Amino acid sequence: MSLALGKHPARLLGLVAAALAWPAVAQNVDAMLRDADRYRTGADNLQVDTLVQSYKTDGSLDKERRYTVFAQQDRRTLVLMQSAAEKGQKVLMLGDDFWLLMPSSQRPMRITPMQKLLGDASTGDIATMRWSGDYTATLVGEEPCQPDEARACYRLALQAARKGVTYQRVELWLARQRHEPVRAQLYVQSDKLAKTAHFELDASRGQVDAMVLIDQLGQQRQTRIRYLQRKERTVPEEWLNPMFLARSPVLE
Amino acid sequence: MTGCCNRLAWLLCAAMAMAPAAGGELRGSWQGYWLARSAAQAGPLAQAHALLPAIEAAPASSGVTLAQLQGSAAWGGLQWHADVVAQAERPEGGPGHTQATVMEGYAAAALGGWQWSLGRKVVGWDVGYGFRPNDVVQQEVRRPLVAVPLQGRPVLVAERYTQDAAWSLVAVNPTAEGSATGAREPALAARWYQRLGALDAYAFVRWGRRTGGSLGAAFAWVASDAVELHGSLRHMARFDTWEDASAAPGALALASPWRAATGGAAQQALLGGTWTNAQQVSVLLEAWYDGTAPSAGQWRQWAQRGEALQRMATAGAPPAAVAGNLAWQAQAFNAFASLRRQNLLLRSSWTAGAWEPALDMLYHPEDGGRLLTASLAWKGDRWRWEGGLRASAGPASAVLRQLPVQRQGYVQTGWSF
Repeated sequence: MSLALGKHPARLLGLVAAALAWPAVAQNVDAMLRDADRYRTGADNLQVDTLVQSYKTDGSLDKERRYTVFAQQDRRTLVLMQSAAEKGQKVLMLGDDFWLLMPSSQRPMRITPMQKLLGDASTGDIATMRWSGDYTATLVGEEPCQPDEARACYRLALQAARKGVTYQRVELWLARQRHEPVRAQLYVQSDKLAKTAHFELDASRGQVDAMVLIDQLGQQRQTRIRYLQRKERTVPEEWLNPMFLARSPVLE
Repeated sequence: MTGCCNRLAWLLCAAMAMAPAAGGELRGSWQGYWLARSAAQAGPLAQAHALLPAIEAAPASSGVTLAQLQGSAAWGGLQWHADVVAQAERPEGGPGHTQATVMEGYAAAALGGWQWSLGRKVVGWDVGYGFRPNDVVQQEVRRPLVAVPLQGRPVLVAERYTQDAAWSLVAVNPTAEGSATGAREPALAARWYQRLGALDAYAFVRWGRRTGGSLGAAFAWVASDAVELHGSLRHMARFDTWEDASAAPGALALASPWRAATGGAAQQALLGGTWTNAQQVSVLLEAWYDGTAPSAGQWRQWAQRGEALQRMATAGAPPAAVAGNLAWQAQAFNAFASLRRQNLLLRSSWTAGAWEPALDMLYHPEDGGRLLTASLAWKGDRWRWEGGLRASAGPASAVLRQLPVQRQGYVQTGWSF
């Protein structure tokens, strides 16, 4: 090892510089997480139109679902299902509390965090646009961004800071320069790896364009969550009242 | 009346077709199902059929196809919503029939800090799955074997929302006659909701024109990541019911002895919970008491009358008269929301990708009767398939073992557009 470094003084100097800079990087880990969040959100209050495409194990498209997500500050999110098969369904998340409305009953129901983990892309995957505030981050070190890639990323270990989050633990790889998210491993409460995530970046807009999830508990099925449109939008306060879910969608 | 409903439904369909052009929304679905019913070998209707074959031993199996169209649009400063179902049903061995029904049709607006709705609308309240004491407006029939769209009630609704609380004031069936019973009774109802962190608290009050006042309360509490607990309580001054006005167990009646009646003060209560794990296995357990259901003594009298009628048949009484009286005995099964006062429901389901198998059991501790249901659903992109079986079990004397249909199955498919 030392022989190899001796042959490459530039690499040795790089490692020394990285070691010297390490304490500063570790201290800024919260800021890094907020930077990563900005690539997924862009504003405190926003409306995101989302397309979720689930693929079969042979790679062919299984189904498509559309959602409108109103992600508001203070961890308040309203998800409206827009596809024909689910139209009228709504999920409201206020911090660690969740409600579901099925259009057949017009009756908002309390659901547990476990009941939120539905489908290939759970409601939590669609609605969760931020890590900061939900997770405590620590810097693990620098690692290749992808296992077969020379580019190095920061690896962060995120531990749930609140009980209502979809995943108990997240291993997150961020690009070193601008801290955009590259990939993640998502662990459920039993500490099983549930899904892996890869983030596709639209460099021109500086935003995450899509998140590709691969199921690790079942048959490695792939789900692609595309963020079709983001716009800043603050919804009326009453929309975030659980009982308001029963109002007709046209009122929105 | 039906013709009037049909014309109104088709008119609303035509109006809804224009909703997208007016910036509104239009969506629809189609579903078809076959419900197979097997006539029971025991129970009063089976005995009536044995004496007089002209009396059907059970409702016939039937096939149903229905199309639902829902539209919403803003027009004239109001929000309009309509929901229409066109349905064709063909019972086995009988003539089919078709009808179009307005399931919902209302206008809504915000005025003076309140949200107002006027028209026919589904207003569903309360927290339970198998039983909802405080569902005092819609009064939805719970646990049907085949889920079909709900028809709303005529209502005027005013609602007010703050960050963590909500008020709902409802005048239901405001134009119905004062003598209307059950869910058709004209009534005023109110619900107060308060969010207290992981707990939802509710209070309910209802004033029926004939049945008077009732008070209720409910809660839903998420106790942990996996467990949710809920409960519901209602006290009512009076309630609509049916009573058997037979002169004596051994006397043959000339007309149905069942009479609409008003019961005195009664209580209903429910306590339940759900547990769901990361593998999406879910278990629901609910226990409820329904003080409006017939008491154990009333069911004993009912059974004694059935035995007396059978004795009369063997003693040479006119078979047609005895058969008619036995058939009227079976009307008890459709007269009450709960057949027994004490009920226990256990349900387990598993969501595995597109598949969802489910098993449930309704248990009556008072007589050991059980109603078992198994179903399997598959959800695709737009298609949904479902099938299931329901059967009665328990001691031969249990009320559930007297039902005219003790085994039934269904296959259902639906497509959304």
